[in-house]
Amino acid sequence: MIFAGIDAGSRSIKVVLYDAATRKVVGRGIAEQGVDQARLAEALFDQTLEASGLGRSQVARTVATGYGRGSVRFAQSTVTEITCHARGVWQTSPNARTIIEIGGQDSKVIWIEPDGRVRDFAMNDRCAAGTGRFLEMVAARLGVDLCKLGEMSRASARPAVISSTCVVFAETEIIGLLASGAAVADIAAGVQKAIASRVSTMAMRAVVPPVYFTGGVALQAGMCRALQHALGAEVRVVPDPQFTGALGAALVAADQAD
Amino acid sequence: MESAVNNGCCPEHGAPGGSNCRAVGPHKVPGDSPLAWFAGMVGHCKAHALAARAAGRPIVGIMCEYAPRELIFAAGAVPVCLCGGDPDTIPSAEAHLPTNLCSLIKSTYGYLVEKANPFLEMADLVVAETTCDGKKKMFELMAEARATYVLALPHREDDPDGLRSWVEELRRFKVFLENRYGVAITPERLREAIELMNRERRLRRELAELMKMEDPPLTGRQLLDFKSIISGLPDDLDQYERALALWRPRERSGSATHDARGQSPECATARQQPVRVLLTGVPLVHGAERVIEIIEANGGLVVCQENCTGLKPILEDVRADAPDLIRALGEKYYHLSCSVRTPNRKRLALLAQLATEYRAECVIELIWHACLTYAIESFHVRRLVENELGLPYLKIETDYSPADSARIATRVAALVETVRARTAAQHKWLSGVG
Ligand code: SF4
Ligand code: SF4
Repeated sequence: MIFAGIDAGSRSIKVVLYDAATRKVVGRGIAEQGVDQARLAEALFDQTLEASGLGRSQVARTVATGYGRGSVRFAQSTVTEITCHARGVWQTSPNARTIIEIGGQDSKVIWIEPDGRVRDFAMNDRCAAGTGRFLEMVAARLGVDLCKLGEMSRASARPAVISSTCVVFAETEIIGLLASGAAVADIAAGVQKAIASRVSTMAMRAVVPPVYFTGGVALQAGMCRALQHALGAEVRVVPDPQFTGALGAALVAADQAD
Repeated sequence: MESAVNNGCCPEHGAPGGSNCRAVGPHKVPGDSPLAWFAGMVGHCKAHALAARAAGRPIVGIMCEYAPRELIFAAGAVPVCLCGGDPDTIPSAEAHLPTNLCSLIKSTYGYLVEKANPFLEMADLVVAETTCDGKKKMFELMAEARATYVLALPHREDDPDGLRSWVEELRRFKVFLENRYGVAITPERLREAIELMNRERRLRRELAELMKMEDPPLTGRQLLDFKSIISGLPDDLDQYERALALWRPRERSGSATHDARGQSPECATARQQPVRVLLTGVPLVHGAERVIEIIEANGGLVVCQENCTGLKPILEDVRADAPDLIRALGEKYYHLSCSVRTPNRKRLALLAQLATEYRAECVIELIWHACLTYAIESFHVRRLVENELGLPYLKIETDYSPADSARIATRVAALVETVRARTAAQHKWLSGVG
């Protein structure tokens, strides 16, 4: 039986198709988010099915998650990102106790029980300074590709200090740094450090190891290392971190069908 | 930083279903329901205040539950709560007040600047208490436009000297009112006012207690509407009685008629039994009910509100048979456990008691941005809830602008999922041992 998970995030939509009989992911798709979220999610769903040689009728249940979960009309139920990320990480890394998730518009710390249930979570409030949005802004400011930004940070020996807790003010700060001749690599590393320190503030009570890192921003080279520094704990990146939410949603769909 | 994309959720309440969201509070109710009566609360109060003023009774504004309404009534005046719940008056307030100040204070003051609150326009006097610094200093600005009377509240909890000085403060206030309005506040008049307020408190308390039921007849949002910015209105008291007669469980059967909550928008869309929430923190004044609506549109049912718009100020009555009525008044109000007191152990004890009585499955604390006292005290609340009560705790810090509704909805929905998973695991464990 096939179960589908749709993660309608703020920056991209992800689909995972999961076969409960073989316990394997049988299809995956990702697309940019846009204005017409409902149509985009549906189109991606159909494409992913087709690419996997499946039809809608073979899908037993669909669960939507993510910021735009309410717009996925064809899903039978909606579940929050928090539960889905926990479920997704637990599947691939059952020893996880703390999950750091950094996505396009928010970041979260999730503490989980040994049986995979969410024990507690923290989420950034109104500010985007601890999220992927911050990285996007900086990449645009520095005139580099988002995926290059992480690599550039490696060349830094002295990450710049970026103290603003607001993306808008941080942008001003970065303009100032550039004007004073700071190296681009140091700025890139400084931004990662700033994000990591926001996340570690959010995790106020010490994280419980093992710590796993998920969400699209986990793909950024250097980000995991910055988090390790800030948290003072080893941090591992889960496999295919951008799909964890959708995978979790598909698994929740399978659990619900039980 | 919230982008304005339509995420398919209701922009106000974050409920899935977008603009079809029906979580709009308790407004669609049959015309003769007590709920419908309170939906017209502001209109009733306005009519009452106008009539009172025409009859020569002064209007006295209050902004805190420490203000002893009884003394104001006994002076022949009408106490009206002036707390502002409208985000739209905030920009005008920010012309004088800092941006980084609690929405409740700014909204109230914004009404003054815009001359938009009819009750404040009618007010002859505003009672200003020394509670939090924001309010205290705002009153100084308000004093430029209105007569204010400062009631100095001692901040130390359980302090005999503090209580004594508070009682003296109330005696001075009594004399002030007598002189200002040319009346004598006799023990008879004061007792009458105390009895009126005790009756109202008792009725509202009994209504709140309906939420102890397994299947409460109301939503927390509906219950929140059962109050008026003017206390003791005879029609209101009748409606409290009617509501109790309607929804109080029938003898022994233990269950109420479910009409009100059943017709509530949240209940109509809910697919599962709601999770019982104890709501604590700052008050949700008229117009600022967004967060309770979000909670109930996302799987929660607020069975208990331990805050100044809920149970806290109505739990204790004033002893109407006391030989010294001012002292009796002082005692009641001195016990109110607001976060401006230090330490504030009574609030923690109250939370523990209410969590048990109302069988809360989780605790949500609401804090208005820049409310320092509640924000700092949340440290103790979290520790109590998580470590001693063993319940999940969620803190929501926000203001009157709805920009973060979707995010709050996600956090509440995740809390609800966590509670349900926990309950399911407990059941499994229990059936495993059993
Ligand atoms: S929370 Fe404190 S300051 Fe606010 S109304 Fe209640 S007692 Fe007064
Ligand atoms: S919510 Fe906090 S800051 Fe605002 S008036 Fe009440 S005590 Fe003061």
